[in-house]
Amino acid sequence: MDTLISVITDTVLITLVLALAAFGLAIIYGLIGVINMGHGAMLTLGAYFTWSLTRHGMPFVASVLLSASAVGTVGLVFEHLIIRHFYNRPFDTLLLTWAFFLVATEVIKIVFGTDFRNVARPIEGAIDIGIYRIPAYRTIVGGLSILLILSTAFILYKTSLGIKIRAMVQNREMAGLLGLNVAFMYKCVFGFGSFIAGLAGGLIAPMYSVDPYMGNTFLVRSFFVVIVGGIGQVLAGTLFGSFTIGGLETVLALFSDQVIAQIAVFFIAVVLLRFRPQGVFTGR
Amino acid sequence: MTENKKSRSITRRQALGAMAGTAAVLGTPALIRPAKAADPIKIGVLSPVTGAWTVYGQAHSRGFELAVEEINAAGGVLGRPIEMILADYQTDQRLVVEQANRLLRQEKVDLLAGTFSSADRNAAGPVVKAADKILLYPTWYEGQIKDYYPGVCNPNIFMFGPEPTQQVWPFMEYMVSNHGKKFYMIGSDYAWPRVTNLFTKEKLQELGGEVVAEVYIPFNTPQYESVLRDIREKKPDIIFHSLTGSDTVNFAQQFHAAGMSKDFTYWTVDDEEVVTSGLGPEVSAGHFVSFDYFMTISHPNNKAFLERYKAKYGPDALMNTVGVGMYNAAHMGALAIAKAGKVETAAIREGLKELTFDKAPQGPVKMRGLDNQIVVPSYLMKVRAGWTSVNDMFEEVQSVPSVEPKDARCDLPL
Repeated sequence: MDTLISVITDTVLITLVLALAAFGLAIIYGLIGVINMGHGAMLTLGAYFTWSLTRHGMPFVASVLLSASAVGTVGLVFEHLIIRHFYNRPFDTLLLTWAFFLVATEVIKIVFGTDFRNVARPIEGAIDIGIYRIPAYRTIVGGLSILLILSTAFILYKTSLGIKIRAMVQNREMAGLLGLNVAFMYKCVFGFGSFIAGLAGGLIAPMYSVDPYMGNTFLVRSFFVVIVGGIGQVLAGTLFGSFTIGGLETVLALFSDQVIAQIAVFFIAVVLLRFRPQGVFTGR
Repeated sequence: MTENKKSRSITRRQALGAMAGTAAVLGTPALIRPAKAADPIKIGVLSPVTGAWTVYGQAHSRGFELAVEEINAAGGVLGRPIEMILADYQTDQRLVVEQANRLLRQEKVDLLAGTFSSADRNAAGPVVKAADKILLYPTWYEGQIKDYYPGVCNPNIFMFGPEPTQQVWPFMEYMVSNHGKKFYMIGSDYAWPRVTNLFTKEKLQELGGEVVAEVYIPFNTPQYESVLRDIREKKPDIIFHSLTGSDTVNFAQQFHAAGMSKDFTYWTVDDEEVVTSGLGPEVSAGHFVSFDYFMTISHPNNKAFLERYKAKYGPDALMNTVGVGMYNAAHMGALAIAKAGKVETAAIREGLKELTFDKAPQGPVKMRGLDNQIVVPSYLMKVRAGWTSVNDMFEEVQSVPSVEPKDARCDLPL
């Protein structure tokens, strides 16, 4: 029983944290079809900005928000200068965003150095539930992840902006012909996705090692999350994908060691893709 | 047809001429060289400047650079300066091979130093064996077992970092009698943690302890909940930790966040200054760490060394066991060449054997001739609660001024 409770809480928390890390990628990939290889670098940038700001005495929450805005701005500039000219050529955007990753990583190393950095956890301690202690900060981040996904869902499905975005996703040309400013909306989506990546980077900084390559750990997993969940299935897809890639590993590790659990997870992901190549949540 | 014949005969003549020319060119440097005394001795340094071990790359290359500067300021070796040629292998074992070959063939270096992890060194092993050049290896590592030849047990590789019978064994009695007999081993999934644990288990058995679990984690694993649960269930006394890179930080962060720091003793053979800085004072407080070198050791050599190091790289620059390994490697390499009187592999090898270096930052060290393994001091430290920088990070628990390791499990002598 103890084990069961701890496995469930672990699984939920892992799923939510991974969903947060993958969400920016899911938005950009799912809504405007750009395979953002720079996603990892955006997470890293968010973490480093947060580290830098908190070190200069700014409160944690303000630091994270400012960092996310900064990364969002970087994304907007990158989109305006380069990406917007390549929306019709997805493979070129893949190379361009990869180049963004390389350049950003080197700049991070030059500006912030190559040492490990640490961001102090804003909330110390663990929530004691009798048999088991749940890390307090991680729980809050998990909560924020739900909040973020729900509010994005609200925007997408309950506002006129959301209707426009969905129209654009369904048929870009038609949406343009009907008078939507497609170029502007693409820019907003790219900027928002970058903002979310920066936000995630800042929020996970106190839980993980902050080093120039920290985003890489999440890049591959994030891609699996998006592809398993289904491209364009920003909400349910992201959550399901995160559960498959992150949560399942914890469950499997009950019965085997870590190495086998990790291999099994990716194996299951591949099998899922074999039978649902469009992603689990995408109708055929 | 005739033209063809003609051209062929000319070609042949040209070939002869070219050969003579080549011979002359090849012969000349041999004649000139002794006269040109200031020709530098070239040492190729393989450093992980980018990629996963970036965080260690800086201290790694700086340690060597500082030593080279000191050697050259003192007049060089055999009247010749040392030239350090840095090659970044991007933490990629294929690039270790590529860069080592480039240094040897294109840069024509006289010997090599560096590589960081055991996997990197094992990649470089066949290269230095084939080219018959010396490699000076700086990192704490798993010790030499014949199975991993030519990465170890290789007469051309000299080990300047401690192995488990130096880094772990001297403190096991203290740890077992003060903190308990039940060990939970967690490490990254490659040669160094596995063999280190093998040696540790051997000694643990002698002391009547037991290993409750031995867990290996793939590189770049962000989540450790299942391991933490396993630890809680198995109730060990000591977490014996050999994860590396960002994984060690991720694990320790989550271990602490789960409120487990106060319930278990944490002994790491990986978290030197660089990693412990990444953990921060909250998470790392109370961890036991053992190495041959720490920035906070009180040996007079260390004070002088750190003064020079900080004068060059700034007051906040990090140093660690690997950087010091590289520093000692450069100095002892130079001493060996001076002793040999010439820059030639067999002579340098002989020169290095049984060589002592009194100025080593951790205290005097000696290169054992039998198995090319450095004999170093060893320190068990505890991370000070509320440390503010690397200068007050560790406090000494126990130390041994010089640890003679167990003989390497190779065909000895090397």
